[in-house]
Amino acid sequence: MAYQSSIQIQRSQTVEIEREIRELVRLEKVRGIRSVANVVQKLARRAGPGIYYLGDEKGRKLVGNVSNFPMEVLTQNGIHTFNYSIEQALPDNIGNNTKGVGYALVSSRKLKGGFRLIVGRDIVERRGYTSIIFRGFLFGVIGIVILSLITGGITAKRVLKRIDSISDTTDKIMSGNMSQRVPITKRNDEFDRLATSLNDMLDRIENLMSGLKEVTDNVAHDLKTPLTRMRSKAEAALRKGVSAKDQRAALQATIDESDQLIRTFNALLMISRVEAGTPSGSFASFDVSEVAKDMAELYEPVAEDAGIELILKTEKEVSIYANRELIGQALVNLIENAIKYAGGGKAKNKKIVLSVGEENKNVRIEVSDNGVGIPKEDRERAVERFVRLEKSRTEAGSGLGLSLVRAVAKLHKGEFYLQDNKPGLRAIIEIPKDKQ
Amino acid sequence: MKILLIEDDREAASYLIQALDEAGHVSHHAADGETGYAMASSMDYDVLIIDRMLPRRDGISIIESLRAEDDNTPVLILSALGEVDDRVTGLRAGGDDYLTKPYAFTELLARVEVLARRSSPNEGETHFEVGGLSLDRLSRKVERDGENILLQPREFRLLEYLMKHSGQVVTRTMLLENVWDYHFDPQTNVIDVHMSRLRSKIDKGYKGQILHTIRGAGYMIK
Repeated sequence: MAYQSSIQIQRSQTVEIEREIRELVRLEKVRGIRSVANVVQKLARRAGPGIYYLGDEKGRKLVGNVSNFPMEVLTQNGIHTFNYSIEQALPDNIGNNTKGVGYALVSSRKLKGGFRLIVGRDIVERRGYTSIIFRGFLFGVIGIVILSLITGGITAKRVLKRIDSISDTTDKIMSGNMSQRVPITKRNDEFDRLATSLNDMLDRIENLMSGLKEVTDNVAHDLKTPLTRMRSKAEAALRKGVSAKDQRAALQATIDESDQLIRTFNALLMISRVEAGTPSGSFASFDVSEVAKDMAELYEPVAEDAGIELILKTEKEVSIYANRELIGQALVNLIENAIKYAGGGKAKNKKIVLSVGEENKNVRIEVSDNGVGIPKEDRERAVERFVRLEKSRTEAGSGLGLSLVRAVAKLHKGEFYLQDNKPGLRAIIEIPKDKQ
Repeated sequence: MKILLIEDDREAASYLIQALDEAGHVSHHAADGETGYAMASSMDYDVLIIDRMLPRRDGISIIESLRAEDDNTPVLILSALGEVDDRVTGLRAGGDDYLTKPYAFTELLARVEVLARRSSPNEGETHFEVGGLSLDRLSRKVERDGENILLQPREFRLLEYLMKHSGQVVTRTMLLENVWDYHFDPQTNVIDVHMSRLRSKIDKGYKGQILHTIRGAGYMIK
């Protein structure tokens, strides 16, 4: 590029030189050689890069600021470039004293009467331009490099700082402080989006961990109790003087206890499997009211024996895309729960209503009773794992029934909630109808 | 009945073999998948009891190989994995029944005996008769000592299943699985209530009991 512009400059100087030559030739035609000599002399005295010469036919200088032209410049018309020695200081436009050897671009013209007119420029000026341009470029390049280093440095530092803050947070989390979160700035840039999703993930993990901890605590309590009972029964049976009949009874009791334990374990495993999400290969389209009908029919005699009327309310066909076994299990849990607690109510005609219907885009499965119900403040907790509300602590059951129902509802991207049935409890599962 | 048990837990296996012997069955034991497969394909058994997770070769692949060789010996799968999907995989591979560990021996025995009977040709039978009780699958008629008994559709299916397996113990979970087609574990005595209703229709007021409760196991018609 620098070379290109120096050629450009040389070309424009050539044009200028040619223009001056033409003017001087015209002057000679109009006013004669003497006027030309005067003008050349004036021009030659001017400071600057101009080279002016007027000589006679024998090559002797009449006026001008350069005399030692090469032979061909003095004999041939046209453009020449050559080295020459400067007789007079020609300060160039960047302040360098060019006394000594110069480099010239000149145009030579033979005038009438054998006079030779030479007009030119000291190319040092051009070289100066070149060096200015080069220097400009150099400064530019250095500037760009420095600037990009600085901005790059700043950006890198900012990025590193953000990354550091993320890795700091993860370090703290790994050392056990689960409540730590990645700081979010107001910039809302990629880092903030990353931080937000990281934090969401951490929230989920923390929830799972605290859930796990709670479950572990409850498992410890609810499984240790029957294990202790079992152990002491076996121990008692081993004591001396226990009749064979009592030993048999103790063994049977041990088996019953362990069956209950197995049941609790199975329920726990099922909940965690469902919460982890069973593969959707087990999903199929079926009619929920058909399942509800089966369950009502299955439990109707049990309810009747407990003095409770089990009423089924279904629409013709409520198709759903779900896991049939799990929906059935959820319904069973709700019905068993209702039978267990409906009995305690004050209502004269104790009843359980099992209804399946469609509401907006949801399938709604509802089991309501008119029994004792659950106080409002306890309803949320009742769905937690192992929670048997104080009053029912002594009742049989694992305290896992409603947690499984909730897990099943969630697996199907639905909701499970409890409401007041005034009196009694209304348990509702809502599952989106659409295929998931 | 000749039974092959493929199970790597030796203690559980020896207990099971002993219990099967006491129940009057001849049982062989293989402790790993390869041996088990070799025994199953070289000898004739009435029922195979195969643990799902075995060293050297897993239970599912044994069943798949046997089925690929047109060996249709009934298979009961034992597994610690008891979820719906596990059951489905097991049955799809060619297993005939699926039992989750830990199980009651009575449950296992009842299922094994029913499986062995399944391979015998009474599958297509349409008329059952036990004592004075008869059930006709085509006309859907049930009679006791010549008297017509009216049953609800589900009661009919319940009795049908029991009569089909008369002389065999049928457990509560087997009834729930086969009559209702659900695999959950009810907390209440839901099956017992249905059975007592059925009993009041087929046994009450007649001479001699046909529907028996087997303590700690289930029910039997004989």
